[in-house]
Amino acid sequence: MTQIRYHKVGRRSWEWRLKPTGVEERNRARLPGSKRHWLKWRDVHNPKTLKRERILVDKKPLWWTLGLSALVAVTPFLPNSMISVVSIFCIYAAINVLWTLIVGTAGIFSLATLAIVGAAGYVAAAANVYLGVPWPFMLLIGPLAGLIFGAILAAPSTRLDGLYYALLTMGVAEICRVFVTQLRALTQSGGAITNVDSFIPKDWFLQRPGLLLGFAGAFLLLLGALLVWRLVNSERLGMLLRVAKTSREDEAFAEAIGIDFRRARLMVFVISSAALGVVGAFYAMYFRSISPQIFSLDQLLLLFAMMVIGGLGRAEGAVLGAAVVTLIDKGLIELGPPRIILVAVIMIVVTIFAREGLTGIREQFRDFRKRKSGERRALRTEKGGEAMPEEATEIHDKQELYYRRFNKRLRDRLKKLISPELIEEHRLDPLGHHSDALARVLNHFRRAEMADKYVIHRMVPSEERFRVMAVSGQRGMPPRVVDDREYTEIREAYHAVFLLRVNDLLES
Amino acid sequence: MTDIRLFGYCDPFSAQAGKPINFMISAEGTSEVSAEIVRLVHGDFNPDGPGFIEESIVSDVPAKLPVKRQYTQNGSFARVDDAQNLLALASPLTIYAFIWPSMPQGVRQTIMGRWSVDKSMGYALGINPEGKLEFWIGDGKTVDQVTADAPLIPKVWVLACATYDPKSGKAHLRQIDVQNSWNSHIGPVSPYDHNSHVSEKLRPVPKHSDADFIIAGSHEENPERGRFVSMLYNGKIDRPGIVGRALDGEEIDAISSGNQPDDPIAFWDTTAGFSDTGIGSTFEDTGPYGLNAHGVNRPVRAMTGWNWKGRDDSFRLNPSQYGGVAFHDDALTDCAWEPNISWTPPANLRSGVYALKITSGDAVDRIPVIIRPDKPRAKVAVQMSTFTYLAYANEHLSFDAQIAQAIVAHTPVISGDDLEYNKLQEFGLSTYDHHSDGAGVCFSSWKRPIVNIRPGYRMAGMNFPWALPADLSLLWWLEHAGYDYDLITDHDLDREGTAALSPYKTIINVTHPEYYSETMLDATEEYLTQGGRVMYLGGNGYYWVTATCPDDPACIEVRKLDAGSRAWQAEAGEGYLASSGERSGLWRSRGRPPQKLVGLGFTTEGMDRAEPFERMPDSFHKRVAWIFKGVGDEELIGDFGLALGGAAGVELDRYDLALGTPPHTLLLAASINHTDNYPLVSEEVTYAFPGRGGSQDPQVRGDMIYFSTANNGAVFAAGSIAWSQALPCKGGENNVGTVMHNVLDAFTSNGALPGSQYTGDEKLWR
Repeated sequence: MTQIRYHKVGRRSWEWRLKPTGVEERNRARLPGSKRHWLKWRDVHNPKTLKRERILVDKKPLWWTLGLSALVAVTPFLPNSMISVVSIFCIYAAINVLWTLIVGTAGIFSLATLAIVGAAGYVAAAANVYLGVPWPFMLLIGPLAGLIFGAILAAPSTRLDGLYYALLTMGVAEICRVFVTQLRALTQSGGAITNVDSFIPKDWFLQRPGLLLGFAGAFLLLLGALLVWRLVNSERLGMLLRVAKTSREDEAFAEAIGIDFRRARLMVFVISSAALGVVGAFYAMYFRSISPQIFSLDQLLLLFAMMVIGGLGRAEGAVLGAAVVTLIDKGLIELGPPRIILVAVIMIVVTIFAREGLTGIREQFRDFRKRKSGERRALRTEKGGEAMPEEATEIHDKQELYYRRFNKRLRDRLKKLISPELIEEHRLDPLGHHSDALARVLNHFRRAEMADKYVIHRMVPSEERFRVMAVSGQRGMPPRVVDDREYTEIREAYHAVFLLRVNDLLES
Repeated sequence: MTDIRLFGYCDPFSAQAGKPINFMISAEGTSEVSAEIVRLVHGDFNPDGPGFIEESIVSDVPAKLPVKRQYTQNGSFARVDDAQNLLALASPLTIYAFIWPSMPQGVRQTIMGRWSVDKSMGYALGINPEGKLEFWIGDGKTVDQVTADAPLIPKVWVLACATYDPKSGKAHLRQIDVQNSWNSHIGPVSPYDHNSHVSEKLRPVPKHSDADFIIAGSHEENPERGRFVSMLYNGKIDRPGIVGRALDGEEIDAISSGNQPDDPIAFWDTTAGFSDTGIGSTFEDTGPYGLNAHGVNRPVRAMTGWNWKGRDDSFRLNPSQYGGVAFHDDALTDCAWEPNISWTPPANLRSGVYALKITSGDAVDRIPVIIRPDKPRAKVAVQMSTFTYLAYANEHLSFDAQIAQAIVAHTPVISGDDLEYNKLQEFGLSTYDHHSDGAGVCFSSWKRPIVNIRPGYRMAGMNFPWALPADLSLLWWLEHAGYDYDLITDHDLDREGTAALSPYKTIINVTHPEYYSETMLDATEEYLTQGGRVMYLGGNGYYWVTATCPDDPACIEVRKLDAGSRAWQAEAGEGYLASSGERSGLWRSRGRPPQKLVGLGFTTEGMDRAEPFERMPDSFHKRVAWIFKGVGDEELIGDFGLALGGAAGVELDRYDLALGTPPHTLLLAASINHTDNYPLVSEEVTYAFPGRGGSQDPQVRGDMIYFSTANNGAVFAAGSIAWSQALPCKGGENNVGTVMHNVLDAFTSNGALPGSQYTGDEKLWR
């Protein structure tokens, strides 16, 4: 008994599938105020059983809900120090999500994110401390300041290219820092505004109830940022930008097809800036103070590290990156300075090995697996050979598998019939009484499938000038020209096609 | 420089001197063409023949014609006649139809609705690109939809039903399994669950535009093209309806078991209107307002419906099971272009094949038209096979049919025109093609540009002229030999019956009279019994049961089934013609094999080479020896020809007493030496066994026969498509021509035929 080496192919589906029945009414609820359904379910027929199965096509909402509810469920049981780490994580994640909106959706490479947060925070804090504005109004003043600051910063973004704009925004952040540190009114506190009023009562500050309240606020802030991200991305503005995304290099093209690309980008920038303003005001309240530290380069780079590690351009990347970096930076504070090195190492490893950060790893792994199986397939495949097991699982009409097998064996037999005499016989009379061998070979050629089947093209009406083409096999798709040889006699053209086919046969 | 492209057609294609002909032209890259009328004398450019010949004719056609781009509406659908906009509903509604979608995936399709694609307004029931049933509404800004869960399975009947209440916004979409053992592509043993019931609250309230209510398509409009129909549907629809309230679950269940609601706004009862002779393109609305729907591009009627049970295999037995109407996104039976010019040929114009020749820059197009004389003028009438021309019109075999190269034993030789037509995919299909969902094409009309009736066109598959361009060789020879002739067409014969034939001493059948109606058979038969003389000079004639559409003779219908060389096979129960009520398929399956009429019937086809005829003993009998005056005893007849180099080839017909060849028929000659690329045709194969090709099977041959009929009538038949294309060889002076001369001279003479006095046996040899 000969042992055949089987290749393990195909993939088992691990996901949980519902088994719906069609007779019951299914009421599909929607997200209030929108056309969207809560979850993206799809029914399919299982190709092996023909039974109906319901699969969750988009599982992201599930992961978000699980992740965020775990955060809410676990945090109240953490020690005090960890609660503040979680709160800071929420704040950073919120900033990152909004920054992602600017970098990813709008495609503006701005490094002034923290500058906007800081500026808005300073304005809100100053209003509270020096003008006595009650704290709830800070949540209005913050975004207003962010909006104005953002609008000013947005203006040059259409003029300057990526790198120069990034440098400009970094400069702006530095100017802000220098400005506040040199403000005479703030010199005593080293540029910081302290004693800012807050939603956390003064006597709860740094106490457990205060920390929990702070976490609650920070969590809501993160939810708010995610909501802004979702609204911008899934509504008209985001769709416009996604359409134009393929042509980001060429804004003129996008505009030519009727997309006001620049306007859409600026709108996203300004909306995000206003939202960052809210974060700024919240920041000042949460810490009850705000210091020039917020404008510093190291803070900015830490945030940048979060985005890179998590994956640029995705909300889940922004949040996951914030979680990793915050945990190391603030959670492992007893490690001392090496923890910064650790962040840098992670960042470098991720950039080297992961194309799209941690959140892109799954897709990257799938691509990798696909490429590998493609390579393995390419190694074993032979032209005109039998279907390989991994192909067989993909071919719906199983009869096709038999045809492949049959035709391979037929071709093997026909190959033996090809001889110089046979070719000469065809050359002498392509449409004549043929020997059995030639008739068999020709009949095989003529029965070939339509895709890439040879035809002769009469190049000029009523003239004897021909060339060989191959038809597409798809309706409306024109044939391709096979080579540049021309024939002035139809018999030559018939024979040329014959030779091409003999060649294809011998190569298979 | 832009490329100039010219396309055109005329109506009627089968015309008559003294009666107007409209020419429709679409041009791109130019706004003016020069125009003239030409008489087409010979088509093929083969150097062995006289070459391409046309003669300019003085006519009142202006030398310059203004032209523009004209658009073609492809796809079949039905437009509802709703002048009062009763279907622009603001009330709650229920919209339903039984459907058998044939290609549910890929692009969005509309089953029915009053939907404007460009304005996003109205409502419609359709299929989304994912292949799921969907009901959607739009107010011009927002489009909202409810989608069924269960994917639609191709070619399986379901009831599709949506209810919607604009007050609450609540919509229900139901898909109910109505598959039985007979009606669908797969049977109940495949454990699919076809049912689905989804309800949702939709956000917008539909607003209405000026769109038409359309079955199997949606209204669209743009400034360049104007109003047209898009989002076409592929598959069958049965008994669609609309009710002005949201039906409850039980009422919908009742529809799925065959009971219609009592209070429809419109109910297009597709089973209504059948008669013994078929059904037209109007879908009767049996509801209170009579909002009939009118089919465009001929939706296919007389198809099995959702409740088909297999026992009754024709609508004539049980119309209530024949509500199915098949729609195709690539159907085309009328381009409906505006005429650019109407030309009335003078009453004394010589009968012939003419063309409007239009030229602009390098682009030339000839729009052929067959002109019959105002009244019979010659002794001979050539019956141009316009049914065949339509059946093959714009065939796509070389591009689409995998087996085509094996059948014709050729590598196709395609021309620039083929490439152009194939790229455009705009001018419809032939009865040899399939619609995009794989269904065979059963309608073909002349109201569209047809590439393969152009003079000089060679059928790509075999690199020689086919049908009309090939028949020009016969006409050239008749002129060369000095015979006056009139042209009549299949359409004339189908319309007028025997009256079209009886003025003539002789009727000549052209190369390929394959498609015949009952009237045409009857007329030919009656003509022969009355003493008429027929020269059947074709292959595979009188073959398919064909009918013209009663409301539009420009369009023919044929269904291919059961037996014969058939490019497709009608689905079970769908073999009867909607245009006449007859069972289609082969005439021989209905008791009228062509042998009964002209002595010969189809036996083989092949396109690698053609062979000569060889005289048989009967040809020396004095009764017929005059036919071979001037032909040697052992001389091969027609070992030359423009089609594959012989007079016997392409498609060949055989004498067969078993199939009704008149018993007194003389077998004058038969072709010899065919290759194995000439196999015996499938209708002759009852048991399959090897060796049915030309080198092994004696039934693979073409026959030449003669028999007399009552009243000095007679039939001379040479059963080969290649016969007429041998005539122009050697300057028109050859032995095929000699035989033709002998027969024509005798057939056009009055009184008894030569040799008719010899009614005995062996003494009358030589």
